[in-house]
Amino acid sequence: MVKRVLSRFQRSPASEQRSAGKVNAPATPDGSDAGLLLTGVAKKLPGHDQNIIDGVDLALPRGATASITGPNGAGKTTLLRVLAGLVKADRGTVRLNGLDSERDGRAYRATIGFLSAGNTGLFARLSVRRHLEYWSRLALLPPDAGRRRVASMLDEFALHELADRRVDRLSMGQRQRVRAALTFLHEPDLLLLDEPQNSLDAEGTAMLKNALDEAIARGGCALWCSPAGMMEGGVFDHRYLMRAGQLRPR
Amino acid sequence: MSSAPAYGRAVLAVLKRDLLIFVSYRARLLGQFLGAAAAVTLFFYVSRLVDTPQFPSPEDYFAFALIGVLFLRALVATLSGVVGMVRQELVAGTFERMVTSPLGPTAGTAAMMLFPFALALFLSVATLAFAAIVFGAPLEWSTVPLALPVAALVALALAPFCLLIAAAVLVLKQATAAVRFFIIAISVVAGFYFPVELLPGWISWASDVQPFTPAIDLLRHLLVDTPLQDPVSGLVLKVAAFTAVLLPLSVLAVSTAIDIGRRRATLIEY
Repeated sequence: MVKRVLSRFQRSPASEQRSAGKVNAPATPDGSDAGLLLTGVAKKLPGHDQNIIDGVDLALPRGATASITGPNGAGKTTLLRVLAGLVKADRGTVRLNGLDSERDGRAYRATIGFLSAGNTGLFARLSVRRHLEYWSRLALLPPDAGRRRVASMLDEFALHELADRRVDRLSMGQRQRVRAALTFLHEPDLLLLDEPQNSLDAEGTAMLKNALDEAIARGGCALWCSPAGMMEGGVFDHRYLMRAGQLRPR
Repeated sequence: MSSAPAYGRAVLAVLKRDLLIFVSYRARLLGQFLGAAAAVTLFFYVSRLVDTPQFPSPEDYFAFALIGVLFLRALVATLSGVVGMVRQELVAGTFERMVTSPLGPTAGTAAMMLFPFALALFLSVATLAFAAIVFGAPLEWSTVPLALPVAALVALALAPFCLLIAAAVLVLKQATAAVRFFIIAISVVAGFYFPVELLPGWISWASDVQPFTPAIDLLRHLLVDTPLQDPVSGLVLKVAAFTAVLLPLSVLAVSTAIDIGRRRATLIEY
């Protein structure tokens, strides 16, 4: 089953479009098509002797996906948190389509979608629909676009039947689908996915990958993090290994 | 995309979120109202024992203490409410979504103040009605409508304290004990249950260096016609001046707290 899902991902229309160079991404503010650009990003956490992220450079063009694997504690999650703006780097810069993550904070945040590891980030007593509506507002979407995107996410992640159910009455896999829907709702340009397959069954994984394909087809890019060995069979444009805070191509 | 109406809708979405969560606990509103009603009942009977030059009749003290009860409960609902909400956000990981949202963590934190204030206002009106109906609290109906804009000003004066406490929770992860101390200290120096003139000289200055004393004096005057020593305009100006100074400082404190959390990588810790 998993192989079938993964092969679906391999043959996705977005992948084919990418291969054929059909992705039609709009121009960036500075005229380049840089996508995500990390330069010398470093972070030392309190209580650590060494940098948890140690001078990471990365260039991920629009319409590209990258996987980052590595052992526990290698710095993958911290790197994604830096990119999401939850952690401030000690050194280095993060730019997305010409936007600097620190200087252009608000505009930058509008273009990222972050799915953190674990199952947190939901209000136990709010329904699925309320979550999506709430996030559409926080993402500053116009009302019409917000309604459209909420309906689209309910479709894409098969949440219609669960739409009016409180999330504390959902299974872990269903919650992960809600969390994924929140991540994709505002059509971000950069998707930061930290162990996104967590608790998902094959069907949920396929939904996630379809949503990712659509985002990539729009000219977005994605970083997909998971521990070593969890990504066998997945197809990405770039593969990296993170070890002791350093990112190396695999 | 980032127009003022969009921000307004985002702030209202936070208010709606908190309202929906609050009403999902069916007995919560009733419980809070019953707590306030019990406090009013207690002070009604305590007032029967009061016979002093400051309060010629028990009704005078009851009216005085009634506004103190409302103010104290509003202070608890807002300050303690904010501590609870920010803590809950951190523990549940939902603050992370606020931080990564275009609305942003500072505006998001400020938006979280709205529901506790709205709830405090609603409960205050309900408790006042209870006191008037059950115990015949002497409301001054001619000036009661004026209490609403003054209450809005008082809420603005209270907001900086809520934001400062939110900033403390974001950095220290706990502020419950400090908030309890603060609320009790304010209830003493701002004269919630007794006139500040009774305070000894060494501490009486404390009733002049915060906005709660003029705020409660104003509300008492408008709601139950307690005489004022200063003109209304002077008290309004005093509350407004405290607000004008403290509000930007408190917003800066929240912004700094978030920056500290991002630098230390502790923003989503709890």
